[in-house]
Amino acid sequence: MSDSLMEVRDLAVQFKVKRGVTRAVDGVSLEWRPGEIFGVVGESGCGKSTLARALLGLVEPAAGEVALRGNRVEGKAEVAELRRRVQMIFQDPYQTLNPRQRVRSIVAEPLLVQKVDRSEHDGRVRRALEDVGLDPERFGSRYPHQLSGGQRQRVAIAAALVLEPEGLVCDEPVSMLDASVRAQILTVLGGLQERRGLSLLFITHDLSLAWSLCDRLAVMYLGRVVEQGSAVDVIEHPRHPYTQALVDAIPVPSAGGGGPRELLGGELPDATDVPSGCRFHPRCPRRFEPCDRIDPPLIAIGGRGQAAACLLHDPELAGRAVEAADG
Amino acid sequence: MSLLEVSDLRVHHRGEPIVDGVDFELGAGEALGLAGESGCGKTTTALALMKLLPPTLKQSGRLTLRPPEAEEPINIEKRTEAGMGLVRWRHISLVFQGAMNSLDPVQRVDTQIAEAIRLHEARPKAKEVRERISELLKTVGLTPGLGRRYPHQLSGGQRQRMMIALALACRPSLVIADEPTTALDVVMQAQVLQLLENLREQLGLALILISHDLGVLAETCDRIAIMYAGRIVEIGSVDSVFGAPQHPYTKRLLESLPVIGGERGLATPIPGGPPDPGEMPEGCRFRPRCPYAAERCLEDPRLREVAPGHASACHFAPWSEWPAPAAPAAAEGKG
Repeated sequence: MSDSLMEVRDLAVQFKVKRGVTRAVDGVSLEWRPGEIFGVVGESGCGKSTLARALLGLVEPAAGEVALRGNRVEGKAEVAELRRRVQMIFQDPYQTLNPRQRVRSIVAEPLLVQKVDRSEHDGRVRRALEDVGLDPERFGSRYPHQLSGGQRQRVAIAAALVLEPEGLVCDEPVSMLDASVRAQILTVLGGLQERRGLSLLFITHDLSLAWSLCDRLAVMYLGRVVEQGSAVDVIEHPRHPYTQALVDAIPVPSAGGGGPRELLGGELPDATDVPSGCRFHPRCPRRFEPCDRIDPPLIAIGGRGQAAACLLHDPELAGRAVEAADG
Repeated sequence: MSLLEVSDLRVHHRGEPIVDGVDFELGAGEALGLAGESGCGKTTTALALMKLLPPTLKQSGRLTLRPPEAEEPINIEKRTEAGMGLVRWRHISLVFQGAMNSLDPVQRVDTQIAEAIRLHEARPKAKEVRERISELLKTVGLTPGLGRRYPHQLSGGQRQRMMIALALACRPSLVIADEPTTALDVVMQAQVLQLLENLREQLGLALILISHDLGVLAETCDRIAIMYAGRIVEIGSVDSVFGAPQHPYTKRLLESLPVIGGERGLATPIPGGPPDPGEMPEGCRFRPRCPYAAERCLEDPRLREVAPGHASACHFAPWSEWPAPAAPAAAEGKG
């Protein structure tokens, strides 16, 4: 417990809507370790961004707890402390920067908020800009509209780094950027993890990216973690039918493409009306008898921390799945 | 005879080139992918093919369309706005990225499809139109009942299918799809790409698919054209371009994409960013970012065939092997 940077246990976040209650995050437990790049992947609407916001105390959880370095985060003082030690960057670098502020003051803003001594500002802003590969002399006095998309995202990262956080939550930080710019931003983030030991929590719908970048990852479906483990194990040897379907749907940029494949039908159901039993069962190609009744917990597979919330891995029930397949 | 012939297409904005001499041909029933980063001119090229550019953009160049049901070739560049009205949707149609923004929010979707049919056909019978719409919806994998809905009552994937149904309403021979799956999740994206592939087979449609996602193009297209700074820098069959790229830009672009099961870890980024239309570098436009740039690259390279059916605009093509790159020319630029 104490060797995690952040940990959530049985976390639930709900929103009231006209038709009832949306269970955006519905019982998630996970651990983000210091120095690692932890990925959270899933389709839009699976609850990954809500999970990130709950981690930083930006939304009120309905149940469960969030801990920083083993200490439960509750109350204003702990949330303030958390927001100093863990920072966040967002998808759209066009909307997160104040268009009327110069780069230098955008990056210095968090120092003002956290009441850091004025004499330190210049040095820290300079260091943060250098860390993201922007020359402070050239870029410090520019406005956001004078920057390219990639440069804007770097400024957003610099503003997040200026408080020297231990962790950085990145919500789809490159999904709006082109391939070559994307590689530049990822290199900046990867470099920060290596040089500074910065821990990254990487939220993305891009499985190839998660595979190439992350140490460990969690796959979310309809508010729940359905599979987790090392990025290589989960993506190269998925154990949950949903992860398998996501991996199969990735278009392959190589001669001949990925070849024929089985496609998942249907769409992500509404989170106000979560299916009974396993929430994936209505779309699952491998469902069997008890799947619409039993809500599967994460079941450990192998000895390396991989786990899948699927009854196929339940030693007592798995036999029935084989019978069902044979029959 | 090819279905579409594009010859020396240029688009200028206040004298600055956005598209700068694009040539290609497209056969009937063929799928061509148009790839490149934002600002490279791929969407502008698509809009120019339908003469849909805003008035501040001036286009020139020859665009010849030979639909099987037309007796004479259609010279798009000579058509007036009224004349283009007979071509758009009837012979070429366009599927945009944001389906929500191209469907009318206050009309039921089947009404919108019916309108497209009525615009192009003389007095069609109401019953026939209704039947055709329900047939169309089935073709794109939607239950006909969904036609009575408004766009906001459909999911993202359903709206994109509806856009495709609308594009097919007048049985065109060419569909241009501009980033049709970019707003969709990976599972929905795979479903829509599968649909486009099936439609090509069933209807003999030719397709121009525009995407920045090389994986999407590899899965769906026969040939692929890579654009950079307003020009096609490489064009060829998907297998040859992905298997043995012949332009350093394509090569670096492919290397920047993670391929599961391949080498893990971060790719070396291409330094800098693409040039602004007002400040095109002399000679090869990729030169300032190219690790292989040499003096010869100050000369403008032409797109020329370097292997059967495979053309590259690099002086040093064909590349049989790629030497370890020297230090890149531009250290810090845009990006």
